[in-house]
Amino acid sequence: MRIRTLSLLFYGLVLALSLACGGGHTGAVADETAPTAMAEGLSYKDPAGNGWRLVKDASSTNVRIVLNLVGPSGFKTRGVGFNLQAPTTVKFGTFSNGLPIGDPGVYQLLSAGSVDPNEPVAMTGGVKEGNLLTVGIYQKDRGQSAKDSGRTLCQIVLLPGDRARSGAQLPLTIPKAKVIPEDIGAVTDELWLLDKKMKMADITIAIGTLTAR
Amino acid sequence: MRPSRPHPWPALVLTLASGLPATAQEPLMGGALLGQHQIQQPQRVAQAVTYLKMMRPQLGLSEREGFVPRHSFTNQQGQAIVTLNHTYDGHRVWGSQAVARVLPEGVIESQTKGLRSGISLEGEPRLRGDEAIKLAVAHLAPKGALKEVPSAEQVVFPAQFLGGMSSIPDPQTGRPVLDRKNLVHAKLSKPFVWAYEVRAKLNNREDGLKDLVYLIDANTGSILRINDLIQQAAATTPTPARGTGLGFYRGSVTLNTSKMLDKTYALYDTTRGTLPNPGLSYITSSGTWVPDGSGWSPTGLQIWYGENDTLGNPTYNTFLFQANPKNVWGDGQAFTSWGNENGRNGQTAGVDALSAMTTTWDFYKKVFGREGMDGLGTSAMAYVLMTNAYSRDNAYWSIGEAGMYLGVGTYPANPNGFQSMTDLDVIAHEMTHGVSSPSQTHYWVNSAGFEEAGLNEATSDFFSQMVKTYASRAIGASDTRIPANGTDWQIGMNVGHGTPIRRMDKPSSDQRSQDGWYDGLRYMDGHFSAGPLNRALFFLAQGASSSSKSASYSVYLPGGMTGIGNDAAARIWFKTVTERLIGDGTGSLTFESARTEALSVAEELYGHGSTQVIAVENAFAAVNVGDAHGQKPRPKVLFADWRNGDYIVSTHTTDYDNRQVFPKGETVVPLITVLNASNTEVAWSLGGPSMFNGADPWVSKGGVLNADGSWTTPNVMGWHSITGTSKTDPNYFAEGRTFLIDMDTDMDLEQDALDMAGIAFSWYLTNSLNPAHSVFEAPWVDDADVAFFVDAMKSTWPVK
Repeated sequence: MRIRTLSLLFYGLVLALSLACGGGHTGAVADETAPTAMAEGLSYKDPAGNGWRLVKDASSTNVRIVLNLVGPSGFKTRGVGFNLQAPTTVKFGTFSNGLPIGDPGVYQLLSAGSVDPNEPVAMTGGVKEGNLLTVGIYQKDRGQSAKDSGRTLCQIVLLPGDRARSGAQLPLTIPKAKVIPEDIGAVTDELWLLDKKMKMADITIAIGTLTAR
Repeated sequence: MRPSRPHPWPALVLTLASGLPATAQEPLMGGALLGQHQIQQPQRVAQAVTYLKMMRPQLGLSEREGFVPRHSFTNQQGQAIVTLNHTYDGHRVWGSQAVARVLPEGVIESQTKGLRSGISLEGEPRLRGDEAIKLAVAHLAPKGALKEVPSAEQVVFPAQFLGGMSSIPDPQTGRPVLDRKNLVHAKLSKPFVWAYEVRAKLNNREDGLKDLVYLIDANTGSILRINDLIQQAAATTPTPARGTGLGFYRGSVTLNTSKMLDKTYALYDTTRGTLPNPGLSYITSSGTWVPDGSGWSPTGLQIWYGENDTLGNPTYNTFLFQANPKNVWGDGQAFTSWGNENGRNGQTAGVDALSAMTTTWDFYKKVFGREGMDGLGTSAMAYVLMTNAYSRDNAYWSIGEAGMYLGVGTYPANPNGFQSMTDLDVIAHEMTHGVSSPSQTHYWVNSAGFEEAGLNEATSDFFSQMVKTYASRAIGASDTRIPANGTDWQIGMNVGHGTPIRRMDKPSSDQRSQDGWYDGLRYMDGHFSAGPLNRALFFLAQGASSSSKSASYSVYLPGGMTGIGNDAAARIWFKTVTERLIGDGTGSLTFESARTEALSVAEELYGHGSTQVIAVENAFAAVNVGDAHGQKPRPKVLFADWRNGDYIVSTHTTDYDNRQVFPKGETVVPLITVLNASNTEVAWSLGGPSMFNGADPWVSKGGVLNADGSWTTPNVMGWHSITGTSKTDPNYFAEGRTFLIDMDTDMDLEQDALDMAGIAFSWYLTNSLNPAHSVFEAPWVDDADVAFFVDAMKSTWPVK
């Protein structure tokens, strides 16, 4: 909110100066008071490495960046969730499901043997106070086998938010990210063992560079 | 909604051209003339079927669809009223029906708003009926024996009726609480599917009384909907006889009894009822309903009693009051003779019950020409001296059994309990449930969560008072009209030993019922949401005062109104209930639809713009349903249903309407809408009227209301009420129900999307590994956890 207030103040100053100079000279005034253009879109450069990372999807545009969450090849998981902190110059978009998380279809979200394509699925997301995106996608049925993480496991969307100066880097951070590991115990395990295995594993997700353009 | 007249016949044109409704002055038809019309009823039913088939293109129906008569009767205007099931390839379309009115002159009017169009189904169901029964019984999980062999009927099920959140009585308070076992979570991708309607009934010591209707997806086996049908609540025949009785409430009375084949007498009236009682038919072999060796059969009004041991504990056996050698019954005293229920003292409850049933039966027959509760002559019965936990201080009507269970009462041992539940107004109330819900496919939903429940209970309250009035008529007075006076408009004054259960003139006197409609009224138990309609019907009959000091003053109609009298009010409402507000088990009737249909009926009976029509308009306006005659639109506050399109709302159209799911211990923003007011702001308050002034354990209130209109929810899982009141006029408000869940399944003190993993961890585990993994803090997880989690996330942290 503070950034939005400053932006409005900035426009207000421009307007006040323009009025003071009178008609016919606004072009010259604008040149003197707007040294940097305001961004209209976003650009994203993928991070390096082969671990957990957010990479740009080919469907991205200048005003809608779709990021794919990809994990390390050969590492099997049953679901993943993370929180992503962004400045207010970035907004989060939604997919056709109305959620801020997209499902590329790797995880089997329905229970094994389900013939109901509309049963509730464990995929959710929202934007908490402070522009914190929180998303998660999970195989709820432990009868489904774990999946290789070296593919796009879920997607999120970044949109331009409050006006930013073109060229400004927009910092993104991930304060929390976890996966459901392959081994979560078996129903037949001793209870203490099962309880011990029923834990999520911390992961670190690499983020690329997001720039206002 | 007015009935549609899609294809008026020539005679209708003449009626409209005359400008005078045929029934404007005298709505009743004489006996002989009416009889002639009744004889023609079968032909008129056939005409109705033919007519509706002809109308299929205009109704958006295909050649594969048809109509099968379900219920018909001839009303006192000589009109055949025919309710028809809509079929597809010969199978009933669940919740889809038409009502046709065949007028004496041959005109047919049809009410088709309840029809579901656009059906397209191919192929045969994957499951058989017996497999659907197995699924239903597996869900029911009976501990004891089923009362009857369950049946399955293949039907077409419209997806819009998915859901069904039933209530069960709280074991400690008796009030309805959410029956989580019967919460339906299925979802359908097509608007119509093949399904089986399975009926399963239990009545035993272990399971209590249950009468459930399951809708099972005929391909997937998913449970689509669950309804509870229990509403609170020989070649030689015996000889009709006249006995005498001494009732606790009714004093000395004559009784229509029977002299059985062994020359003894029974509380069994074979002169009323022409069809067997369905609840007693199972006793006979092969359903032949042939009288047994004593002369008894399931046909006729009859009074049974629940047997108890000498300490007053139920044995769960029931018997007909019988083997009386002298045909003299009862001692007029409160029951104390435990273990000897068939003795003189026990008979007293039977005397009151049979006398009251006879009066009620005759009231409907003489005043409205209705043969029995269902209009078909089906015999009614009562069980008295019931002592099991659900029945002891209660009275309720069982649709499937066409009978009632009447408790023995707990007073005076329990000073707050009731006396025997066999007084006239209690029995008339219960029997009226049989009028408004005459069959297992034609009934009003009676669960909290539906406005229909309030309509149901109010209708029974109103006619109980009409029966009381009727019974008080002077000797020699007409028995086809309801007297102008004769009741105190109080229900259960006697069983409550001086304290009425409800008051129609001022329902809020009980500190629970409401005097006016508001958005959220449905959350109340139907006995208390009945208040507004009770009051409207009282105003319609008796008028409303313009003095704010009067009990019959309404803040919604400060100028008051003049009533149209008991008889006219009762005729309008009877016709509205039996011909317009046809319940189909979907719970879709509302106070607004009741007003609309009552106005339509009043116009039909008394003419457009008549005093009676204006009175109906004003009576409903006086309880905040619609506007008064000539009045501008009044403010309306609606607890906003802003989650359109998400899982819960799109698949549970009725159950979750007006409910918002939030996490506990978070700051959230409940939404609300104010219409017809310059100031759309509300003052929030915690709790609401449905909480019975804080005494209802089912729902809580708590948290902190913040200055910016947000609400920091309490750290308590479960139902919570919150109320928004218009700052323009505090008489307009809405109560919303929110369900607070515990989203922090990983217990890291942060509720976020990562917590949903906890649900996945616990899937299929039912051994209490970690209760916190369930958003309901339960020892298991299922799709309810998933659905509520998704919903709470959207409600609380939407993407803006």
